[in-house]
Amino acid sequence: MTETIENVNQQQSSTDALLSVRDLTVTFQRQGEQPFRAVDGVSFDVRPGQTVGLVGESGCGKSVTSLAIMGLLPHRGVTVEGEVLFQGTDLLKESNNQMRDRRGRDLGMIFQDPLSSLNPVVPIGIQVTEVLERHRGMSRKAATPVARDMLDKVGIPDPERRLKDYPHQLSGGMRQRALIAMALACQPRVLIADEPTTALDVTIQAQILALLRDLVQDTGTALVMITHDLGVVAGLCDSVNVLYAGKIVERGDRHPLFAAPRHPYTAGLLSSIPRLDAPRGERLTPIPGSVSDNLPWDHACAFAPRCPNALEVCREVRPELVDDGSRALRCHNPVEVNR
Amino acid sequence: MSNEVLVDVKGVKVHFPIKKGVIFDKTVGYVYAVDGVDLQIRRGETYGLVGESGCGKSTLGRAILNLETPNEGSVEFDGVDIASLRGEELRHKRQDIQMVFQDPMGSLDPRQSVESLLLEGMKAHGLANDEKTAAKRLRELLSAVGLPTTALKKYPHEFSGGQRQRIGIARALSVNPKLIVADEPVSALDVSVQAQVINLLEELQDQFGLTYLVVAHDLAVVRHISDRIGVMYLGSLVEEADADDLYAQPLHPYTRALMSAVPVPDPLVEDRRERILLTGDLPSPANPPTGCRFHTRCPWRQETKCDTERPQLRVVSIDGVPASHRVACHWAEQIESGEIRPHEVAATLTDQSGTAGDHADFVGPASVTEAL
Repeated sequence: MTETIENVNQQQSSTDALLSVRDLTVTFQRQGEQPFRAVDGVSFDVRPGQTVGLVGESGCGKSVTSLAIMGLLPHRGVTVEGEVLFQGTDLLKESNNQMRDRRGRDLGMIFQDPLSSLNPVVPIGIQVTEVLERHRGMSRKAATPVARDMLDKVGIPDPERRLKDYPHQLSGGMRQRALIAMALACQPRVLIADEPTTALDVTIQAQILALLRDLVQDTGTALVMITHDLGVVAGLCDSVNVLYAGKIVERGDRHPLFAAPRHPYTAGLLSSIPRLDAPRGERLTPIPGSVSDNLPWDHACAFAPRCPNALEVCREVRPELVDDGSRALRCHNPVEVNR
Repeated sequence: MSNEVLVDVKGVKVHFPIKKGVIFDKTVGYVYAVDGVDLQIRRGETYGLVGESGCGKSTLGRAILNLETPNEGSVEFDGVDIASLRGEELRHKRQDIQMVFQDPMGSLDPRQSVESLLLEGMKAHGLANDEKTAAKRLRELLSAVGLPTTALKKYPHEFSGGQRQRIGIARALSVNPKLIVADEPVSALDVSVQAQVINLLEELQDQFGLTYLVVAHDLAVVRHISDRIGVMYLGSLVEEADADDLYAQPLHPYTRALMSAVPVPDPLVEDRRERILLTGDLPSPANPPTGCRFHTRCPWRQETKCDTERPQLRVVSIDGVPASHRVACHWAEQIESGEIRPHEVAATLTDQSGTAGDHADFVGPASVTEAL
């Protein structure tokens, strides 16, 4: 699982990285079944004030990556290998108690479904102050005004009254804001957002994305944005990692990546999405097959069965991630770029 | 596409009662899911219904199939008022109107093989009396939706999401319908698979001369697939136009906001575009605002008319806007000409409890403070 070229390149840049994920591999083992590698040697860096996107379809390992970084995967039946360096310390080597201190203080997380990630029987005010009590040692009385300011900051109207409300009394967008307030209460340096807007309507999604954009700008928080929506990525992320079947297949800064995707999967994704600004009447070019039609990465490119550019070699040799500084690409036969 | 109207929806209202009490099932209010919608779907066209969750778009789709009985108004299909049909007549009429559902796993019986799923509707409508023709028909259906014939003996769990949606479409096609109502046909699918199903729907339309009503929240999908689009907000249509016209020149403030909120997978567009951020949430349909339903969130709201008078869909007199482009806004012309400028709207709380009456403080313009 060593990716030499990539490691050399990234060790130089990792000095200023706040969070750097190195060769992260997550394997799920069930009795009587073949082990399943959900995340397979993923590496990326996040600098302060930077937004890094992890994009992929269901089953590509993007959520498992986030859970592994947060140390939220169960211990039984799951093997996590590699390194997650937060300011130089490896989070994967830390004990449960140490991680418990970090979560919420150093690392914040926003989940996809705000209703199931908030406690339904506790008012949101208490859920926000709880973080402050735990990490800052504040009393509830002292924490309440801070919590109110947090709710105000994330755009919840009338925060004084909302403190006493239960999650079911808030709308979806407001719940997501409350969850963001919780994640940000202790001003974590790194914020991981796992599909934060997928459950929301577009107009509310625009509000939440604008809020996240402002937060990154104002506080210099490093944001890891996990999503399946390339549109969200295009507007928010500085650097984009495209995942397929547990591996990064392409990485680049958003402008060059969207302008000239090199990996057939990235290119395929972009041409299969109906665009609001495209001329009408054009047929979409779908990617054939479905996400489960994969080859194992060991001796092939997993995307080969669905790939329009597939060669003989794609089914025999695993492509390595080659990073030329501006673009990292894992492909034997990349899409030609017209320059 | 002809100009013949296949579906004529006139003033349809669907109100769901909110019940309270243990012994006395007292109705304490209504959810105004669909509140007066007129629309016509012409034969052979694709009509797209778009809106956010809770705007009543699915309920309207179901009302057209008479799966929800409208409280008021009528739905005429092929010249027959569907709501007046009962029993056997209605069952027979349903052959012409079929539905494709959002969740392909939830809408296919897990214990029926694909063959029996497809035959069920055909048998019910007397299309599978002869075994040979039925078998031929099944093969045709499968090849039309791009599944192998070996699929017949399989069960839904053996297929991927996209393939399941194909089975759902084949089932709708099996009885030779005239209209297919597709409720969020691609939103449960992976991005790379969505395009396959969208293309399939378009191919089938050309092949069988189908009429579609596509209900979806994704404006990009709806614009891609539809000839005409109706934008819904809180139970009523706020704008209706040909797909190209709507995109070229959205006239209703809500449509403008919706268009500017849809993310486009192109950083150049994303960086440059002007965003109209709506504040606050959709008001509860159990307690809709008075006047224009959108006035509580509208950046162009005016002191007069907006909060008292409910705008109707009307043809506007703006140069270059065709008569097919109708909009329910009192000030569409003035907003388009720039006479009325947008202003800040303070976010208001949305009542999530769903009952009318107890939350009188949420009604009316008092809940909006303007920073003009």
